Amino acid sequence: MDILANLATGFSAAASLQNIGFCLIGCMLGTLVGVLPGIGTIPTVAMLLPITFGLNPLSSLIMLAGIYYGAQYGGSTTSILVNMPGEAGSIVTCIEGHQMARKGRAGAALAVAALGSFFAGCVGTVFVAGFGPLLSSIAQEFNSPDYFSLMVLGLVMAVVLAHGSLLKAIGMVLIGLVLGLVGTDVSTGITRYTFGLAGLWDGIDFLPLVIGLFGIVEVIRNLEQPDSERPTLKAKFRELWPNREEFKAAWPAALRGTGIGALLGILPGGGAVLASFASYTVEKKVAKDPSRFGHGAIEGVAGPESANNAGAQTSFIPLLTLGLPSNPIMALMMGAMMIQGIAPGAAVMTARPDLFWGMTASMWIGNLMLVIINLPLIGIWVKLLSAPYRFLYPAIILFCAVGVYSNSAEWFQMVLLAVFSLFGYVVLKLGCEPAPLVLGFILGPLMEENLRRSLILSRGDPTIFIDRPISAVLLAATVLTIALIVFPQFRSTREEAFQE
Amino acid sequence: MTAFWKWGSRALGVAVLAAAVQAAPLAARADDYPSRDIHVICAFPAGSGADVLVRYFADKLQKEAKRTTIVENRTGANGNISAQYVARSDPDGYTIYIHAGSSTAANYSLFKRPPIDPRKDLQVVATLNKQPFMVVVPAESSYKTLGELTEAMKKKGDKANYASSNTSGTVLGQLYERATGVKAVEIHYRTAADTLNDFKSGVLDYGMMDPVFALSQAKAGRIRMLAVATDERMKAIPDVPTMKEQGVDISLPSWFAAMVPSKTPKPIVTTLNGWFNAIEKMPETAQYLAKFGGDPFITTPEEGQELLSKAVDEWAKYVEIAKLPKS
Repeated sequence: MDILANLATGFSAAASLQNIGFCLIGCMLGTLVGVLPGIGTIPTVAMLLPITFGLNPLSSLIMLAGIYYGAQYGGSTTSILVNMPGEAGSIVTCIEGHQMARKGRAGAALAVAALGSFFAGCVGTVFVAGFGPLLSSIAQEFNSPDYFSLMVLGLVMAVVLAHGSLLKAIGMVLIGLVLGLVGTDVSTGITRYTFGLAGLWDGIDFLPLVIGLFGIVEVIRNLEQPDSERPTLKAKFRELWPNREEFKAAWPAALRGTGIGALLGILPGGGAVLASFASYTVEKKVAKDPSRFGHGAIEGVAGPESANNAGAQTSFIPLLTLGLPSNPIMALMMGAMMIQGIAPGAAVMTARPDLFWGMTASMWIGNLMLVIINLPLIGIWVKLLSAPYRFLYPAIILFCAVGVYSNSAEWFQMVLLAVFSLFGYVVLKLGCEPAPLVLGFILGPLMEENLRRSLILSRGDPTIFIDRPISAVLLAATVLTIALIVFPQFRSTREEAFQE
Repeated sequence: MTAFWKWGSRALGVAVLAAAVQAAPLAARADDYPSRDIHVICAFPAGSGADVLVRYFADKLQKEAKRTTIVENRTGANGNISAQYVARSDPDGYTIYIHAGSSTAANYSLFKRPPIDPRKDLQVVATLNKQPFMVVVPAESSYKTLGELTEAMKKKGDKANYASSNTSGTVLGQLYERATGVKAVEIHYRTAADTLNDFKSGVLDYGMMDPVFALSQAKAGRIRMLAVATDERMKAIPDVPTMKEQGVDISLPSWFAAMVPSKTPKPIVTTLNGWFNAIEKMPETAQYLAKFGGDPFITTPEEGQELLSKAVDEWAKYVEIAKLPKS
């Protein structure tokens, strides 16, 4: 068994004392941001990027990945106990989970959420291990035209599956693409849109962009809300374990949720958030008695909680095999890898098998840790809700500033940070999500490079994109996706799905 | 926005002024050197392949100088930002720039307004290694020598493609075409690893690649190295012949050097040269550099400076030949 041998390599890489330590730190941080409503996963990963540069690539990716799936666990805790999702992937958990808590079944809901997540995490790990090499071998057949078409599909899917206004999402992707053009052009070496500023010769730096857009803006946004609305824990635990009936209802839901999550995670534009919404909708549809939903149906906790965790893990597959980030968190991971000098894509699996398998193995280790961190320690996490934000926010801003400055020791980067913070705030006020912008920013230069390279190779003939079967299939899928948005029936379902 | 620009230019003015004041020769004391931490400036991002090389020398220097060395990554503008920073730092031997000397020289011609003249603003204390650029072909390709490749490429005319992933690759490609009459089309890649799928599918006929990429991929059986673009064969890869041996008179070596501000007192330069040459003579250094396809490269400060000056002139010519745009 190749997979077993590979997983063994992975476990031996991930189980070093150092890597286990970083996995634990990542999981703890993830749980923390999952619990705290004011701080999301994306800002945390963005803020921690500079720290990881001093680490070796594997340790840093293990830690960053831990934050992502750790947040899926932590988010469920506050959703259930205080009806406040600390993380977008846990929004649906509020609906049934908090109702269960009010009926005194908080313990059962928490246990089901944690166990469902753990089960999904294990399946997700196997999924990555099984699917990764397969996709990676396909990816080795990819040439420039195929990559271009793949990225077009990725961007279109990201727009379609983003929540909120379609038009705004498209606008943000386009701004991201334009920002990605700044700097030295790969094909000719000419600098573009640099306005003679030396700091822009290599393009706009990733760190001030993401830390400004997510980190600083997050703090400003929270400061706008009055501090007094902090919820306190009212629900009481009677018992931690689900009873027989609950268990019987929960496990098929967890299975379905895991399946949905694993599949939606791989899809470009998918990931934890989409997976949890989809799973909730499915549970409601398959339930014998849908009227129970909204009044504390345990399936509505088990399904989405399994789905968001499975989705969080499998979304690493397209990044590691194709170099395609399917959501903003993956775009951040891609940034982290590129800064470490690793180009994500098919080459990772052949050139750095320890990295791919080590990360896969660390996910399973991390999931095990999370069950242990979460279940017995729930009381502590909930207490953290009363952490004084007047200390937290200045600390976060300081941390952001130090992170950006220390990376290049250039004052210009601080100016960029300020510009993007301001820009991010304006965009927030206009009701636009910055996430599509980051995807556009990351994919834009790659798309352009592959487009131009394809056309140079074909000596200017655009049919190269249709002549190659891989590219043709991807472009057909893109056209289909666009047709779906234009098609009014689908558009209304999309809006409905995101409204819940 | 105008306020921002005004503020920006004023801040820049202040920074330049401050740097100018700093650059005024201070009474650097050579007799008690080194009496504090030494800062090594690295133009590559932390954790990248070349950063690792800089950190190797910084680590060894720490043991030679018996002082803590601190690596500072000042990235951007193709190394210009860090070169400028070092050129304008105090000439006291506590700020050392470890970078590709050839690339530092090239920047003088690659930019419309080069921030420094490396010949006047920097002093080489020691050269550190020599690395070859290479002509490579896909492993499945039938060409076994540079001569065979040239012959076939001439027949293929402008239907031939070759890969490059940086300025040196572009220049080597242009020099090769000029020397042989080959008319292949250059395909640019952001990173060397991006070329792999295209080498495999056969759309690329050959590539002008860096030794780190070429060595690792040749070892993995994906490409074959046909020639190195240096005057002599490399000790690290003795079985790959030079381009000269195969009748194409091209040499485009890249080399790393340790550099300090030009006003640094002579005794400090000599001390530093001694330390770096001691590092160069360690067997582990040769082993370490061989991993990147490089050989240790020992020179005196005068020889190193001469090399830098020569490289500036050569690159002015190369930029012209390869019609590289100036930034």
